[in-house]
This record gives sequence, structure tokens and C-alpha cells, in this order.
Amino acid sequence: MNRPTSIKLPALGIDVGAKPLRTRGRSGSIVKVEQVGEGSIEEVLDRSAYSNINADWVNAKGAWLIHVVLICIGKLIIDTVPGMTQQISWTLVNLFYLALSYLMFHWVTGIPFHNDLHGGAYDDLTLWEQIDDGAQYTPAKKWLFILPITLFLASTHYTNYNPWLFSVNISALVLVLIPKLPQLHRRRVRLVHDDPSGIATPTTPGFPSGASTPSSLRDITEAHFR
Amino acid sequence: MTMMSQSVDAFVEGLSSFLNSIPGSAVLVRYVKSSHQNDPGRTVLELLLVAFAIFTLLQSRTRADRSGKHFIQFEEKEIDELVDEWKPEPLAEPLNDVEASDLAAVPIIIGQTGPKPTLARQPSKIIANLASYNFTGLAGKEVIKERAIETLRKYGLGSCGPPGFYGTLDVHMQLERDIADFLGTEAAIIYSQGFSTISSVIPAFCKRGDIIVADRGVNFAIQKGIQISRSSVRWFDHNDLKSLEDVLDSVEKERKKRRAPLTRRFIITEGIFEKDGAMIDLPKLIDIKYRKKYRLILDESISFGTVGRTGRGLTELYNVPAAKVDMLIGSMANGLCAGGGFCAGSQNVIAHQQINGPSFVFSASMPALLAVSASEGIDILRSTPSILTKLQQNVRTARSLLDELDCISIPSHSASPIIHLHIRKPAAGLLHPGSPSLGGGHSLKPSNPTSILPREASKWDWDIETEERALQQVVEEALKRGVMITRAKRLRGQEMVEARPSIKLALTSELSTDEVKKAIKVVAQALKDVLRK
Repeated sequence: MNRPTSIKLPALGIDVGAKPLRTRGRSGSIVKVEQVGEGSIEEVLDRSAYSNINADWVNAKGAWLIHVVLICIGKLIIDTVPGMTQQISWTLVNLFYLALSYLMFHWVTGIPFHNDLHGGAYDDLTLWEQIDDGAQYTPAKKWLFILPITLFLASTHYTNYNPWLFSVNISALVLVLIPKLPQLHRRRVRLVHDDPSGIATPTTPGFPSGASTPSSLRDITEAHFR
Repeated sequence: MTMMSQSVDAFVEGLSSFLNSIPGSAVLVRYVKSSHQNDPGRTVLELLLVAFAIFTLLQSRTRADRSGKHFIQFEEKEIDELVDEWKPEPLAEPLNDVEASDLAAVPIIIGQTGPKPTLARQPSKIIANLASYNFTGLAGKEVIKERAIETLRKYGLGSCGPPGFYGTLDVHMQLERDIADFLGTEAAIIYSQGFSTISSVIPAFCKRGDIIVADRGVNFAIQKGIQISRSSVRWFDHNDLKSLEDVLDSVEKERKKRRAPLTRRFIITEGIFEKDGAMIDLPKLIDIKYRKKYRLILDESISFGTVGRTGRGLTELYNVPAAKVDMLIGSMANGLCAGGGFCAGSQNVIAHQQINGPSFVFSASMPALLAVSASEGIDILRSTPSILTKLQQNVRTARSLLDELDCISIPSHSASPIIHLHIRKPAAGLLHPGSPSLGGGHSLKPSNPTSILPREASKWDWDIETEERALQQVVEEALKRGVMITRAKRLRGQEMVEARPSIKLALTSELSTDEVKKAIKVVAQALKDVLRK
């Protein structure tokens, strides 16, 4: 569509009250770090109106022990697979635990229960960022930090210090520990394609890609609405 | 490699001697030594990891996000000072001068309101009432009064509950059917207060992440509804459909650029604007809505019951089927002289509001007698279209007399039953900052859609207090001479953009043409007398 050049509209994130830019301007970098969930007064109000049961459970009774229980059960199940050696078993337990805990705490955003009470104020935040209202170094977070490290150390011990398995395990561990750092609280690392319009292709959650919008949507005419 | 292993050995030795002081350390050192297995890199990494874990454990807790930016941490001394300085405010603040004079100037009506009420201050003089919303003369009609009294004897007064919890009566459902039938939509839903109708409909459908494109001149209730909904809002110039299209295009461009998913999109505007009486071009707006695929929320609080052949509103006036408007909101308090408001639309729209409309779920439903009055009002409008013809005739008469005045400017549409009068600045010439129809086309650059203030806002130079005082003098002059008019009352300091002070005339079909002429001549004379000084 031809647009007259006199019209210049500022590029902004869509927000009530004209928030400042959420995305950076064009740059030559491959990766950029974005802030999410700015905490405008309305979002703070919506988050604090009711208690967030989706994030409070980590402080409940038994929520810490359940990790250990599930790891043991997982180990037992994996051990029942025929032809399983101790080395592979421990590696698998470590990797599965890291993968599942990453998925649950750092990939999925939003809240599954009591979604209406908070009016979408948590839609951009992962479970890790919701715990304890975003306070860092709380007991629950410390436990969730220590546990993967302990599991990793146990797995290296039982894999007889095989260098290949060690490298696999430690890279997985480092990948999972990075989003737990307080410096990355409410920040997303996004890969930037270098196409001329500077469109960001997110790899971390927040934007399900618009590629699923069918192109036939553009072909719907007024006739469909009569 | 050997040098590195030697240095690591030395490091381990030093560490073990340090750790010997800690009980149980011998076990640990032995374990680390045995796990070393000639792979120094791995040992270093593991030790670093353990050190990092201990470091993390030793950190103290930081503040939560909630209490971060919006919380001021006072020291004890400061708290004590603030507590000592505190003086309790009275429960009712004494009025300042302006408020006291405003309160004293409110006319008190003895008995029933109507086109010619009796005032407490001047009991002998019967005057014309151009202040109350009584557009089709339904206030005080005997038929409606009798039916209301019957209903009061049958149902009592209150309905004692929200509509979803034993508060719905058969008369409410009858009224909903009547409204849907009157307008030609599939269904309708009733809210018990006119103000909270539109501010409940908007958050019922628009949520965080949705996009609202709203007119800059929308009323306070719509502004509140938009704020509650937490949607992203973009503003277009008042009553300017070209600006609307530009903003819709820019929204689409923005969405494509961010590859954001498609969300629900709404256009919110009013039929006749309560702020200045302008009327929109409905067929063109519907055409735009279909082309850009937006839903339309139309607030017909003023235009329902006042325009169109039988008072069905803008849809009848422009001969557009009401089903094309996704949510059509109207006010029975304004148009039918009853109470409350309604939203008309498809079955899905109405069923959704029965669970998700905040005011429907949490507020009490309206008294039965008001519902019956509204139903009667609809019957009367349906059967006597001559009322509307009379109203339009009165509006035309009034406008023809008012348009001749050069001390005021009128932003209202010529068919609008409410007429706003702004004080015309002598130096402004043809281009008046307050008039909406000229505003959009003459600005060279478009206004920023994220801000509710248009680009001309910097040129607005009216002084609110001076103009309010002058207009109040006009009102009192007119009252002395027998015509009851009013200023448009605003919530100063609460609206997103301060409205220009104005006098709001509400025409009625109950007055004859001569009475209207006489009353408007009195108003014109009062305006000339006060404003020429």
C-alpha cells in the first residue's frame, strides 16, 4: 500500500499509556536481550490483587521433597529399561530432569489456573519470574538452584567421570542455570535475523510465531460477513 | 599439561590444609583427590560449580518486584515526622467558593419535572426546561405513570439481587425482548445504570493484549471502560474517518512488524457524542470496519430514542441493519426516561455478557417499575413517530436561531437533540480550535495515535475557569428570564482530556415551536448580554 511520506508514526510496543520502546532499534548483533513485563502500575495492581497460586506452590509443604521423590522414581523407571548401564541411566536422569524443569520453570509463560483473576498480567512471565513476586535468592529459588547442581555432581560421580558424558551434562546444566540468574530476571534473549527490516525472530517464549495465521485470512471479503 | 597438573596439585594441597580445620573435611579432600583422576579441567569446573552454589546459598533475599518501584522506603525518623505532622481531614471538606456558588445555583424543582417545571426559587414563573433529558416527552406521561404504579404494587420496589442471582424478573426479560425486537437485533441485555453499561461491555470483550481504536472525544464512561480492560488503545481524531483508517493501517503495520499473533480488535465510538453533539457517518464506519476486520462497539446513549423515524437511533437514521453493529449500547435513562442501559447484539454477544459483564454480574438489577416504564416508552415511540418529527422540528428551529449568533460556536451536528454552545473567541476567525469537524482536516501532520491529545492540543488556549464562570452567568441570566438551561457538568481533574466548558441544551418534543423560539431567543439574548460585556 502506498503511504504518503509525510506520515511518520513512531514505532512502539503496543501498550496502554504510551510506554517507551520495548524493542531496540536496528543493530548488527545476532542476539539481543529484551525486557518483558515492565511493571506498569496497572500490571502491578493486577498481579497483587489476588495471591498467585500458580507460583505459591513452590513454598508449600512437600514441594521441595517432591523433586527428590520424582527424581528417584524417574531413576527407577529408567533403570528398568533392558540394557541400561549406570552411566547412561544417570546421564538420562540428569538430562530429563533438566529438560523438564527448564520447560516448566523457564519456557512456559502465563498461568494455567485463576487466569481471570489476574487479567493477563502474568502472560509474559515464566514461573521462575513469578515465584515470590520476583524477589531473588529466596529459599525456594535457592533450593531450585542447588538441586540441579547436586544432581549433576551425583551423575558425574556415577558415570565414572567419562569426559563425553561429563561435557554433555555440564553444558545442559549451564544452559539451565543461566535463566535462574537474577541478572536475567524478566529478560529474554532473542536471536535477530539480519534482514533489512530488522524483524526479530524470538527463540524464547512470548511470541508464538505468526506463521500459523493462514494467508487465506487476507482473502476474506465483506461477502463473508453478510 | 604436567605443569598445569602440578599447579592444580599444589592448589589442592593448599586447599586441603585450609579445609582441615573444618570437621569432616578429610573425607571431602579424599573424595576430591580420588575423583580427580588426572583430569584437572573437570575438577576445576566442578569445584567452581560447588563454590558458585555455596555463594548462591549465602546471598540474602532481595526485594520483590511488587514493592520495587512503587514503594518508598521511609526511615523511622521520617515516619515519625510524618505521623506528627498529620492532621485528620474532616469527613466532609468545607466547600470552596466556586463549589459553594455552584451548589447554590442549582435550581430546585417542586413537584414533577417536565417541559415547564415549577421552581422553588421563583414559584410564580413557569419556564421552559431546556436542561433535562426529556427528548420525546416520556417523562411524566400519564400512561407510563399508571403502569409504573401498577408494577410497584405488584413487585415492590427493589429487585434484591444481581440479575444472575434471583434478580431477574419477567419484566426484565420482556424488556430485553422488546429492545431486541425494536432495534432488529437477535438479543439484548439490560444493565441497571446507564453509566456502567458501556464501562461493563468494554471489559467484557476487550482484554489485555487486544487492540482498541477509539475516538478522542469519547465520554468518561468509555474512557473508564478502556482503562479497566487493560487493552492497548490507539486514538483517532474526533469524528474523522480518514484518521481512523490511518490509525487502523498503522496498527496492522505494527503488528506485522512484531510478528505478533492476531488478537481481537475493536473500534469504539459514539453515535452522537455526549461531549459535543457531533454525529458519526455510520455507513462509512461500517464499511471501514468490514474492510479492516474490526468489531464495532457503538455507544448510542444519546442517539437511541432521539434520532431516526421512530427513535431507533443511528441505524434507523442511516437505514443500516442494526445487526451490522457488533455491540450496540444504548441508554434507557436518556432515551426512554426510564433508567439503566442496554447492549444489543447477537446471541453470542449477549450470552457472553451474562457471565462476563461486570455490572451485570455484580450490581443489582433495576427495579421492575423502571423496566416496565422503558417497555411502555418503546411502545409509545413505536406507535407515534410524530413525536420524533416534532423533536427534529424543534431542533431545527433552535439551530436556525442559534447559528445566527456570532458570540458562540456550535460543535454539534444539525440533527443532534443536544446542542453544545462554546464561547467563540473573537480572534479565532473561521478556524475554531474547539470544533471537531474542522480539526482533523486542517492539521498538516497526523496526531500521535498513542496519546489522547490531538496535535492541536498545544494550541488550545481556553481558560476553563473563566469560561465556566461566564457560562454560569449566562445560565443565571436565562433562568431569571424564565428559561432553565445548564452548563455541561464535567468531572474536572478525572477525565483523560479536559473538555471545553459549554452550555448543553437538550431539546424536547413537548414544547411547541413558538415556545422553543421564545426560549431560544431568551437564551440568545442572555448570551449576548453576558458575553458582549
